[in-house]
Amino acid sequence: MENFSRAFLFNGIGSKPEKLLVKLPPELMDRYICYFDAAFTRLGLNKDLEKNTVYNRKVAEWIVSLICDRVVHEYYIEKGIVPDIGAGYSSGIVSISGCFGSVSHEFAQDIIMSNRSTMRCLEEHGQKLDMGVVIGFSYNDIQELLGSSFSPDELVIGSGNSKFHVMISGRAEAVERALELCQNEGALKAFSFGTGVAYHHPIMKEYSKEYVDFCGSTLYAPPEYPIISVFDHRVMTSGEDILRENQLNVYTPIRWDVTLDKLADMGVKEFFDTSANGAVSKFSRVKRKCRIYTLDDVYS
Amino acid sequence: MRELTPEIREEIKDMIFDYYAEECEVDKDEITMDTNPQNDLGSDSLMFVELIEMTADKYDMDIKLQAIGKYMLKTPMDTMSDVVDMFCKIYQYGNDIVNQ
Repeated sequence: MENFSRAFLFNGIGSKPEKLLVKLPPELMDRYICYFDAAFTRLGLNKDLEKNTVYNRKVAEWIVSLICDRVVHEYYIEKGIVPDIGAGYSSGIVSISGCFGSVSHEFAQDIIMSNRSTMRCLEEHGQKLDMGVVIGFSYNDIQELLGSSFSPDELVIGSGNSKFHVMISGRAEAVERALELCQNEGALKAFSFGTGVAYHHPIMKEYSKEYVDFCGSTLYAPPEYPIISVFDHRVMTSGEDILRENQLNVYTPIRWDVTLDKLADMGVKEFFDTSANGAVSKFSRVKRKCRIYTLDDVYS
Repeated sequence: MRELTPEIREEIKDMIFDYYAEECEVDKDEITMDTNPQNDLGSDSLMFVELIEMTADKYDMDIKLQAIGKYMLKTPMDTMSDVVDMFCKIYQYGNDIVNQ
């Protein structure tokens, strides 16, 4: 097996723009503004996020995350911190596809924009979906607790993130019930996203055809660095692999915890979180002798 | 049950205040026992997890988060005083904190 020692970790959506931007040092903020202006102008989004329509506002926030990831990724590279491999958590797969050169940054932004068609389709079909996070339970804990009370049609574990952090996804009323159950059983915190979507639940496949087709509407280059799949943990080196990862992303559960363990087993000791606010490092845990570095660590 | 000496209590308090000061980027002197960790410092439950892990490492304990979660259901953490009290109880009772 090829030996890897350093991995870059790309975050998905979830962090509020204000929480990301406050963490960018001035020199990175200048670059962020440059990319932000270009992207929002090209995409026709209002730079005042509040003034966007409902779907546009959601994707606008996600594009802010995408741009922050890019700025931090570029900063690490310029500092001489070069990855041997990378992984993308949820929409972090879109980020890593752009940052590792499989698709252009503009196409990565367009992928994020095409989430609007999925949200529209769900609304048209009257689907009420949601996602939630449970803090204080592991994947196995949640499986044991919820497995007998919910069918996979209602609810799945969207991602096992670490021994204390799990994301659930499914029908809104099931997510609500599950969160309440977890809270009563000793979750430190259990909350819903209120997204109206259930990313990483198989039900999304039916409503994300336009998104999936859009992902496949360009040619993907082999990534500059290998990327580990968060679905089957293969090391991906071809453009076709990265396209598949992007398409699976919407409706397939993730095992982030297992992905990080696999990376450690492959020799990775240094993990670099490319989110501006260190979000990945907060919900992830790596084996002893490994460490997750954040922008704060590198910049200070 | 482990004995909680005034020295250990002070050590736990210091660990908690140092952690919040660094994570929330505030001066340690600005944090008092009446400070609300969520509203005044902007702390979140992931920071809480990290603090529990630090405590487990420091005092060589095997702490189950669910036991603490159940304790917190009946004892909300509204002030730093509540947080310090809870970590002292974790030190004393471990996972049996839920029955305290």
